[in-house]
Parts: sequence; structure tokens; C-alpha cells
Amino acid sequence: MPFSLKKAKSLIILLSLIFFQLVLISIQVPMGDESNYFERVVFSVFSPINNGVVSVFQGIGSLWKNYFGLHKVQKDNQRLQEEVFRLNQENSLLRSMLRTYKTEKEILDLLLEFEGSILPARVIGMDASNVWKSLVINKGSMDGVKKNMVVLDKQGHLVGRVVEPVAFKQARIQMITDTESGVHVIPQGKNVPGIINGIGNGQCNLEYILATDTLIVEGDSLITTGIDGIYMPGVLVGHVVSVVENTSLFKEIKVVPAFKMQNLDLLAVITADVNEVF
Amino acid sequence: MVLSVLVAFLLYSLMAKISVSLLFLFNFLSLIVIYFALEKGEIYGACLGAFCGLLQDSFSMSVFGVAGIAKTIIGYSAGYFSGKINVTSIRRNFVFVFLLLCVELIIWSVLYSFIFSERVSTGGGIIFFQPLITAILGSLAYRFVRKLKSSKM
Repeated sequence: MPFSLKKAKSLIILLSLIFFQLVLISIQVPMGDESNYFERVVFSVFSPINNGVVSVFQGIGSLWKNYFGLHKVQKDNQRLQEEVFRLNQENSLLRSMLRTYKTEKEILDLLLEFEGSILPARVIGMDASNVWKSLVINKGSMDGVKKNMVVLDKQGHLVGRVVEPVAFKQARIQMITDTESGVHVIPQGKNVPGIINGIGNGQCNLEYILATDTLIVEGDSLITTGIDGIYMPGVLVGHVVSVVENTSLFKEIKVVPAFKMQNLDLLAVITADVNEVF
Repeated sequence: MVLSVLVAFLLYSLMAKISVSLLFLFNFLSLIVIYFALEKGEIYGACLGAFCGLLQDSFSMSVFGVAGIAKTIIGYSAGYFSGKINVTSIRRNFVFVFLLLCVELIIWSVLYSFIFSERVSTGGGIIFFQPLITAILGSLAYRFVRKLKSSKM
């Protein structure tokens, strides 16, 4: 039986679609982490929908809280007042300690650098291929968000950095648990530098720690050094959970990130240039 | 069709807010592709699969086109094979959808591993239940929609 025209047409369409996507894939490989225009357009068109959906459900949640959960409001108010009081005290204490090393003017100049540089953002989407790779937030280029800006969680722990595409009101964050992420770190109080790489399952490896090293132990907290020029120094990244010696030159060290996935609803984007401030 | 894609997208956003594990367990975009492929044929299924796959890729840090190829193939296959075999009964529909989702998972995993030279994240093994859970949900939804359509007629 001759191959019908309809079947040929459908096969041609299928092969054309697959070919088009193969071309897309092959274009991207040499571009590395740069996104192509097509991807940027699709992201720019659909990320506002994502944002809208999340906003609607947050609105419904707020309605419930505001009108039906009033009994909780007074407790929350009290708790927040206490927290503000504690933070003010802490701020005051830290300023007085800082005066030991800096003049009043230097402190004020430093604080001015930070003024307005913390941009709160909400997570509106997660990576469909691997949730430990990236997030989408509801702030974009119109809010001053640019590539390589540092992103922290509510407690000030490192989450990742802004990568492309950056739409007008949305942006993508590469998490430190992504396999292509790298952060230069040292353990708190010890001078043993290494690099944290994500392994794609929510944990990270601490690389380039020599097998002869005896300083790094389980429980060590790892902070950024700022040497990579992307992340500012002193930010808590994670904690060492296992240190294994094997026959290779370097130790096998597993690290759990300090941020918790279930608490990643509100993030802080640091809009200041970390290389200028630090 | 546009509404269905938006609904699938909405469910994807909601699941992400509720729990990370749900993203591994349900694949609503593929269900939409298979449903419309069953209703409208293989060309429609392939085009919708390409669109939904690229949409999924745009929200991931995966290479743009990986999920697209997988969904294009299952969209076409769903439309093509549904013309050859009867998949209207709930059992046959479940098996059919389950097999297609398994094929999609395999194609996507192989492409992902080939391009990134790393294994896909399984979410602690949860992703292996994705074809089963999604197929159960899909066949029930498909039966419900068909009953709704026949009661309207």
C-alpha cells in the first residue's frame, strides 16, 4: 500500500519539530549559561503568568489570615515587636563593637552603601527538571536586578546568584546546589579554602581539600571568602556532614546547605556591587 | 487548549509552593499533551508537545529543547497510536498513558544525561512513580471529561 500523503505530512512535521529542537540544543551548548532569544522570550511571556498565579493564591491566603485568623494577629504582633526590639539591640551592640575598628563616619558610609541594596523577592517558580538547580523570583530588571547579584534567604544564608534570563519583573536564580555552581569558601575560624559544588540532590561537595588536611571536621560551618568576586565574604553557606578519606589527592567532603528548601518563599537580592562594597 | 495549558501551568506553580516532592510526582503538562493528542491527532499532539516541552524548559536551567523533544515524541505517538487502537476504556487508557509517560521519562533522562553528563535527580526515587501516579490521575480525568462530553450531547 503506498505511503499516504497524510502520513508523510505528519512524519515531516514530527521530524521538523525534533530537528528544530535539536538545533536549539546545539546552539545553546557553546553559549554556556547565556540564554538564547527564544528562551528569553518564552520566559518573559510566561513568568508573569507564574507570578500572577502565585499572587492570586497569596491574596486568598492573606484574605483568610486577615479576616478569619484575627485571633493570631495579636500574638504575631507581640512576637514581631519583640523581634524588632531584639534586632535593634543587636544592631546597637554591633555598631558599638564596630567603633573599635572604624570611625563614626566610616560606619555611616558603610551603612549608606547598604541602604536600599537589599531587595526582597518572592519565589514564584522552581526548576521543573531539577528543583535543586534554580528558582524563579518575582523581581527583574525593572527592579534593578542584574546577572550575578547575590541571593540570600530570610536568615541571611546563601541561596545562589541571579543568572539569565532576567525578564522585566522576573529573574532566575542559580542555587548553590546546582552542579554547575561553585562558591569559594572557608570553614569559620579555620584557614582551609575550598570550593563548594552542588551535586544535584540538595547537597554539595567541598572540593580541593587535601587528604593531608586535619582541620576540617564534621559540623564545621562554611562561609564565603569573596575571592570569587561574585559572593561577598562572610555569608554562611552550609555545614560539613561527612569527611571521607580515600585514595585520591583530595578528601570527599559532603556539605548540607544552610538554607532550607521549605523556607524559600522570601529571598533577599543584594543589589549592591559586592566588589565595590567589600 | 490554551486554558488547559494555563491550568497545567497553574498546577505546576501550586505544587512547587506546597512541596518540592510533588514536582517529581506529577507531570500535568504531559497529561495535557496526551489528552489533546488523543482528541485531535498526531500533528496536533506533536506541536502541543513541542510547545509544552519548551515552556517547561524555559522555567528550568536545563538546555532549552530537552523536554521539548520528549514531549513532541509522546504527543505524536499518542495521536498516532490512538488512531490504531481503542484507548477509550479506563484500563486501556491507563496502560496507554502509563507507557507513554515511561517513554517520555526515558527519553528525557537519556537526553539530559547525554547533554549534562550527569544523572538526573530522582528526588529520592520519587520520580520513578511519576508515570504511575500521573497515569492514574490522567485516566480518571480523561474518563470524567468524556462522561461530561457525552452527558452534554
